[in-house]
Amino acid sequence: MRKGSKCEGKTSHSLIERHAKAYERGASASMKKKTMGNKLQIGVLLLPGLLIFGIFTVYPIFKLFIMSFFKWDFGSMLEQQFIGMQNYKEVLGDTYFRTSFVNTLVYTLVTVPAQMILGLLVAVFINSIAHLKVSFRVLYYLPVITSWVIASLVFKYIFNTEGMLNYFLTNVIHVTSQNIRWLDSRWSGLSVAMLLGTWKGIGWNMVVFLAALQTVPMELYEVAGIDGAGTIKKFFHVTIPCIRGTILFALVMLTIGGFNVFTSIKMITGGEPGHQTDTILTWMYYKAFSTGKFGYSAALSFIIAVCLALLAALQFKLMKNNEKG
Amino acid sequence: MKTKYIKMTFLYLLLVAGIIVVVMPMVYMISTSLKPNGALYEFPPKFFPQLSEITLENYQFIIGQGKFYVNFFNSIFVSVTTVLIAAMVASAMGFCIARFDFFGKKFLFIFILLTMIIPGTTLIVPQYELAVKLKVINKLSGLIPFYIAWVIPYSTFMIKGFVENIPKELDEAIYMDGGSVFTVFFRIILPLAKPGIASVSIFNFLTAWEEFPWANTVINDNLKRTLPIAISGFFGQHQFTQWGYVFALSVLSLIPILLVFIFCQKFFVAGLTTGGVKG
Repeated sequence: MRKGSKCEGKTSHSLIERHAKAYERGASASMKKKTMGNKLQIGVLLLPGLLIFGIFTVYPIFKLFIMSFFKWDFGSMLEQQFIGMQNYKEVLGDTYFRTSFVNTLVYTLVTVPAQMILGLLVAVFINSIAHLKVSFRVLYYLPVITSWVIASLVFKYIFNTEGMLNYFLTNVIHVTSQNIRWLDSRWSGLSVAMLLGTWKGIGWNMVVFLAALQTVPMELYEVAGIDGAGTIKKFFHVTIPCIRGTILFALVMLTIGGFNVFTSIKMITGGEPGHQTDTILTWMYYKAFSTGKFGYSAALSFIIAVCLALLAALQFKLMKNNEKG
Repeated sequence: MKTKYIKMTFLYLLLVAGIIVVVMPMVYMISTSLKPNGALYEFPPKFFPQLSEITLENYQFIIGQGKFYVNFFNSIFVSVTTVLIAAMVASAMGFCIARFDFFGKKFLFIFILLTMIIPGTTLIVPQYELAVKLKVINKLSGLIPFYIAWVIPYSTFMIKGFVENIPKELDEAIYMDGGSVFTVFFRIILPLAKPGIASVSIFNFLTAWEEFPWANTVINDNLKRTLPIAISGFFGQHQFTQWGYVFALSVLSLIPILLVFIFCQKFFVAGLTTGGVKG
């Protein structure tokens, strides 16, 4: 079906092109007089966007690169000093950086598959029921539109040492006799953030996968059914291969999102205890705005940016190969 | 047939169980905001307040503070301005990239893709430098242009996709009639790409409304704060956090988002799925 519609798209496209060329021949005479004016108009349309994007995003990218080679302390902005690769050496030799890098990696490796699997399951379930589809979709999407600040505070409140969860564990189901200090150690603190990330991400995955499931041709399921395949076999041999493209797309977006984790950590643990729960971005932020080491943070940011760009390029390449094959 | 019914019931039960887990934190937040603010941590904690206990005192306290209105207005002003300017600017760019060849187009497109990939927070240090230089620290004008620049790549990319789906013959017809690029843009592209622009705008609104790291860095002044920093400001040292107030303010700040979400649901899904299916 997908391949078929692609082919149709191509034929109609070339028809359009032929028409367009015929039009162009007729229009070219009058167009020529106007080209200068039109070029100007294109410029006018592009200019505001280019200016804003250029000044506030592209310029900072170059600036980031430059800053990363300088001893650039905030507060003493006059004494910037070129120090070559010193910032990079300092970042890579830093145990705090390594901790935060491992934390970010673990966060991404846990939350990305968790969100995708749960989101896909919910999508498959919603897709196969007859009633209440929209209500379920809306309710599962609610966490996505809840802001990170608010969601983080709610989770902090639930997991607080005197909070609801501990009361439930100690006084209702009696699993432990003492309140667990969830937010005061590295892995349990990170787990709360990972739980939040997963909770917040399921809805997005659900919507994306629901759309993808619509593109899976029903005939394939029927054929598989005739061949005696059960629900689970159909899922792995029909559904998954048909939505491969979307799975890869989600993988790219979620990996970027995973490395982007910042607000939840900052609100829930604040990197405590002793920077044990910092992620790369909260550690970068701390170095920049609590210790004033702008050069160090720039080098760190640049490393993250390059890593992610490479990772995304790799994933996009996988996606392209997948489309061809 | 019977097994099918059992299967369906089982599916519904699973979905409902999932919903309960997913919605529980939100319900807990609302119920906490309706409890009296006396005890820091009540013991035993109750998921739902008793009916006789339910009170609006937290809301009254929040609404009674003048700065609530200022923070709320700041958030509305910043988000709406961001959305409007970004919609205009990104539609124009998306249209030009979809339809014309111009000098540096490839370069521009690479930067658009690149900035969609690298986390926005990595640019916070040079952007802060820029904000200091432009003297926009502690001002709303220190937020808006950065937010617009932030949402431009995604918006342009999406709108370009929508424009490419509009048949080119429509453009050609206008040019034949002696129309200019402007005529095509305002008479053809903008009206036909409206659903796309709307869905992008909803996401931009969400982004600007909930943005935290940058606003938290640039704004210190109480009266310049947007809602996310106002909320986080309430919550000082852990011991003295008054959760009733925090969650009352949170619920209030979620209302506009919920309204947008409810009224624009179909655009929401349209925006998500175009990206999804294409990938």
